[in-house]
Amino acid sequence: MNAIVSRRILGSSISDTPEYFRYPDEIRDRFVATDDIEFRDGSRVTATEIWDYLTTVGPVKFPNLYDLSSLYGNRLSQDVTLPTTLKHNYLLMTMHDRMTRARAQGHPIVFVQGGQSVDPYYAAGAIALRPASTGIWARRQREGLSRNQEELEGRADKQKAYNAISFEVCNSAGYEHIQEGTVPADMVAPFTALRCSDVSYGTEAHRHGPRAKEVKLLLVDYPLDHQKDKDWSIRYFADNLRRLTRNIDELTGRTTTEDDLAREIKLHNEGRRLSIELADLWWSADQPPTNGKDRRDLFQLGGMELHGDPVASLSILREARRVIEQRVKDRHLAKGVQKDAARLFVCGSCVFPNDYRTEEAGGIIVGNDNHWSDITTLVDESGEPYHELARAVLSYPYEQPLKDRARWTVEQIKKSRTDGVLFLYKWGCNTQSAIARLLVDEIKAQTGIHTIIIEDDMTRTQTEQLQNRVNAFIEMVS
Amino acid sequence: MALKTLDIIARKLVERPAVLASERAAGAKVVGFQGYTLPEEVILALGLIPVRIGLGGSDRLVELGGRYISTKNCVYVRETVGLFADNTDPYIVNGDLFAFDATCLQAYRTAEVIQYYFNNGVIILGVPRNFYLPEAHTYFTAELSNFVGKLEAFSGVTLTPERLADAIKVYDDIRTEILAIYDYQAVLNPVISWEQVYDVIQAGFVLDRREYLDLLRALHAELRALQGEPVVGRHADEARLFISGSVIPPGDKKLITIIQEQGGRIVGDDLWTGLIPHLGVVIAEPTLEALAYAYLHRTPHGALPYLDLETDGRIKRLKSLIQHYQANGVVYHTLRYCDPYTFKAKETKDILEKFGVPLLELHTEYAGSDIEAIRTRIEAFIEMIKVKAELGEAA
Repeated sequence: MNAIVSRRILGSSISDTPEYFRYPDEIRDRFVATDDIEFRDGSRVTATEIWDYLTTVGPVKFPNLYDLSSLYGNRLSQDVTLPTTLKHNYLLMTMHDRMTRARAQGHPIVFVQGGQSVDPYYAAGAIALRPASTGIWARRQREGLSRNQEELEGRADKQKAYNAISFEVCNSAGYEHIQEGTVPADMVAPFTALRCSDVSYGTEAHRHGPRAKEVKLLLVDYPLDHQKDKDWSIRYFADNLRRLTRNIDELTGRTTTEDDLAREIKLHNEGRRLSIELADLWWSADQPPTNGKDRRDLFQLGGMELHGDPVASLSILREARRVIEQRVKDRHLAKGVQKDAARLFVCGSCVFPNDYRTEEAGGIIVGNDNHWSDITTLVDESGEPYHELARAVLSYPYEQPLKDRARWTVEQIKKSRTDGVLFLYKWGCNTQSAIARLLVDEIKAQTGIHTIIIEDDMTRTQTEQLQNRVNAFIEMVS
Repeated sequence: MALKTLDIIARKLVERPAVLASERAAGAKVVGFQGYTLPEEVILALGLIPVRIGLGGSDRLVELGGRYISTKNCVYVRETVGLFADNTDPYIVNGDLFAFDATCLQAYRTAEVIQYYFNNGVIILGVPRNFYLPEAHTYFTAELSNFVGKLEAFSGVTLTPERLADAIKVYDDIRTEILAIYDYQAVLNPVISWEQVYDVIQAGFVLDRREYLDLLRALHAELRALQGEPVVGRHADEARLFISGSVIPPGDKKLITIIQEQGGRIVGDDLWTGLIPHLGVVIAEPTLEALAYAYLHRTPHGALPYLDLETDGRIKRLKSLIQHYQANGVVYHTLRYCDPYTFKAKETKDILEKFGVPLLELHTEYAGSDIEAIRTRIEAFIEMIKVKAELGEAA
């Protein structure tokens, strides 16, 4: 009865009998001829196997992901000729299976935060997962759910965390999954004070959860205030990184060497370089060569952490580099994106407007600072690896004093030929909201382009308000 | 019974802005500061005048500050920014330099906002979150040394061991006197209330530190003359409340007033603006290394995460203070968006429940709109404690 009422009120696009997306058969031959995905353990999956999974297994296990509602910002991209988006989706759909297998093979699961490099975790043989990844892992354990059912269960999960920590926690950061054991993390060890203050307090909260004695806790302490210019800050952070690998070693029983870290840095640097090249290519195109969601997914792969397997992420990035280059040459305009769309750059904390609806309104998100500043920071491979990694991490532009952060942001805005800047922050995000006004004022002073500050709520209760403002902004800057 | 020294302190507070202005006119420099892990000793040692800035309780200043920093920051932070935007508070107007530490990350952001919008000279002291580790001590010593270097350049004075030793002595004596005075408010029939002691502590934020020490000594002597050595004790039917949680700065009397109106007696606190900064500061020698160690190893601020519940010094301190002041209930005050303390509310409640002490969390701002709601909850909490106390006594 309630479902019927909902349909009447809200329209068929979010009903219990939604329209589902299918990958069209006519693209199969072209897709199966594309690259395999290689994994860290040396195994591979072919494009044929991926196709079979996405067209037969995926729709049964995770019908919610195939929901076509335009209100669903995370729905599968309709750009079916972009092979890497299919592969990315495959990796996310198989998150639970892959991570469970990897853990059974002796790789501890370590919870981290977004926007940080994960080189040392992998060097020590662990798998580093940020909140988005742990959330995906938890959700992929529930099969056969519609989008509405999945969303309701997700909200119930969050409520558990709010009860255990605080209703003002901006994002419970996987607390509920880790403490309930749905995501069997062995360790919580994020970088502190980076992007977000809740991460430190959220880590501390694990000390009173039901799995408190099973989950090892460590903070990799990120010193603040001109940290990149202070030798003692770099030494301190390098010591924290060494402590991190020692702690992971206690879980694995092995000893992580400097060579291990140096090798991992090299691998991750390749990912970061590829992402930077991809971005330069993407931004150089007359018209957007992919939609906004695919752009974001591709750019973020350089963080090498989203799939829980850096080698797999790298595999996709290498292929994406070629595909995007070709699209730019072909002057390809991505499906769903309007010609001469208003180009928006998103600053702030980890929230985003719905890419598809933004594109329907005549805009496109062409870049963002969060999950990008870390990727644009390469680690010098010639020096002592802990020291060089510390030096690089402490120089993330997003974490610098305001003027320096603004200078870097303006560079990205210029490179991406942005028409307007959205500063979005999540409700309860004290750290990014505090400097929202400063940053946009400084950007405006340096570039003269339009800016807007919007607060969002990750529980999606304010989605329409957010989108309404974004659409009005697009209208203004177009 | 009126205490003469309290009247003198009140008068000194009224006179202080004019005194500061005249000292500045004579060449003295004032350093306004905010922070928990910021050793005030170094400011005094360099011949600068330390003034702890920050007020609470003003909706107007909160609104004003929120125009620069966001409405998702706690009201204390917003009001601090509002003070700079308003620029009429004598301690802001008379500030020559402002120093913040990064204990609370919102305070760190406040420093950035102030520097950007109001062109004030601002210096920041980084604070390690892993404060208990040896490498944190090394880092913080270097950070403190860098901070002192900036103060030296600003003051034109070099920090010598002698200067530092003198300043440490002043602060050690202040801490000793405050601890001694604090006990008097918790005795059976006190001549000084907790609120008066709290006000005395906060008077020390702005008064000349040496003069303040003399006033504390005078107050202590006055109390000793009236009541002898203090013996903490309680009446059977008393609701003796301990206040924990977020900062309650000068100007914010909402919660304190409601508790007292409802018949509760506050007998202790572990607030950043109250007793806690004065506890457990052991400076072994007049060096920056020792100063850094002492500040990192006193009772940790809630904004500094500690990952082992069993050995958490903040929890241990809370329990020992509750016992010492014979409190039978805790009012856990959290300001909206004060994550350091809000995140710990349920955990602290669970811990104290096992300890046999009930905890009431009150989540509030400076606005008056929730006064009645708070009053109702406080009234019920006090009633419950009194009934429990009486039943316990009868048993």
